[in-house]
Amino acid sequence: MHGEYKMPGGKLIVVDLAVRDGCLAEVQVSGDFFLEPDDALHAIDAALEGHPADADEQVLAAAVRAQLAPGVIMYGISPEAVAVAVRRAVTGDPAA
Amino acid sequence: MNRTGWRDHTWRLIHAGPQAPALHMALDEVLTHEVGAGRRAPTLRIWEWAAPAVVIGRFQSLRNEVDADAARRHGIEVVRRVSGGGAMFVEPGNTITYSIYAPLSLTTGMSFQEGYAFMDAWTIEALAELGIKAWYQPLNDITSEGGKIAGAAQAHRGGAVLHHVTMAYDIDAMKMLEVLRIGREKLSDKGTRSAAKRVDPLRRQTGLARAAIIEHMVATFRRRHGLADDTLRPEELARAEALARDKFAGAAWTAEVP
Repeated sequence: MHGEYKMPGGKLIVVDLAVRDGCLAEVQVSGDFFLEPDDALHAIDAALEGHPADADEQVLAAAVRAQLAPGVIMYGISPEAVAVAVRRAVTGDPAA
Repeated sequence: MNRTGWRDHTWRLIHAGPQAPALHMALDEVLTHEVGAGRRAPTLRIWEWAAPAVVIGRFQSLRNEVDADAARRHGIEVVRRVSGGGAMFVEPGNTITYSIYAPLSLTTGMSFQEGYAFMDAWTIEALAELGIKAWYQPLNDITSEGGKIAGAAQAHRGGAVLHHVTMAYDIDAMKMLEVLRIGREKLSDKGTRSAAKRVDPLRRQTGLARAAIIEHMVATFRRRHGLADDTLRPEELARAEALARDKFAGAAWTAEVP
């Protein structure tokens, strides 16, 4: 499943995932954004893994935010924008 | 950390002959670390490409961005760089690419947005002197009335900032759209004619040879910030060649975000 979201004033956030037993699996966040340090991307993927597929944007954004180590810098991407891209992937709705 | 100015540093210029795409990726990593460790003075490096390439951003998905079959058909190497941002399609002689390796102190206290514009102020000035009214379009583009000219990306590594920019000198938009998937999707409603228009390359805007534009840009940097000619040290090149072979030419890195 695949979802994309162009964050207003930011960059394109892409999410590929599967839903297994009602939960998010094999979550891969990608896009043309900037992250420092670069291994923060794996933390974002891991933060989303296993959440119920019907988790709403607030829950998903909070999960991403909680997983980020202090000092991580996001440019052109935010936990909220990642959450929108996840919802679009799950619902298949490009305007979710 | 106290902020330093351009003139607080002794800038070096490296402009070597054509090098392979994976070696360029490796040189960025090695030279950023050398400057961060204080073993090399802050440096401007102008790139020459030995082969066509697609360079994807650090966080981009390989299969989402690149049509692997089309790339293979055209003999285009796909590499992943250390910085974020979007995919670029490069053919030798079609782009002007440079890297700036600077101490973090040069952009201390600046927002990312301010830091990008600050690192390329000399480029905007050089373009103005060539008759192109260009400006920074956040987050990371240099654009003009005619269209986009360049994209920039930064990465912080080992106590230094890498800032690199690829400018369109000439462009084969049809080939680009065959190889890059996102370009095709983003532009699917507008078609290739407007894709070619969205980027307005320097050749069309200036009528100048690529080498003449580079020469002028280097002169502008030299005048504003000071710049002494330099070359890669043998040990820098050796480390970059090993890194190109062991990391940047390998599938583990290129498909790190599959």
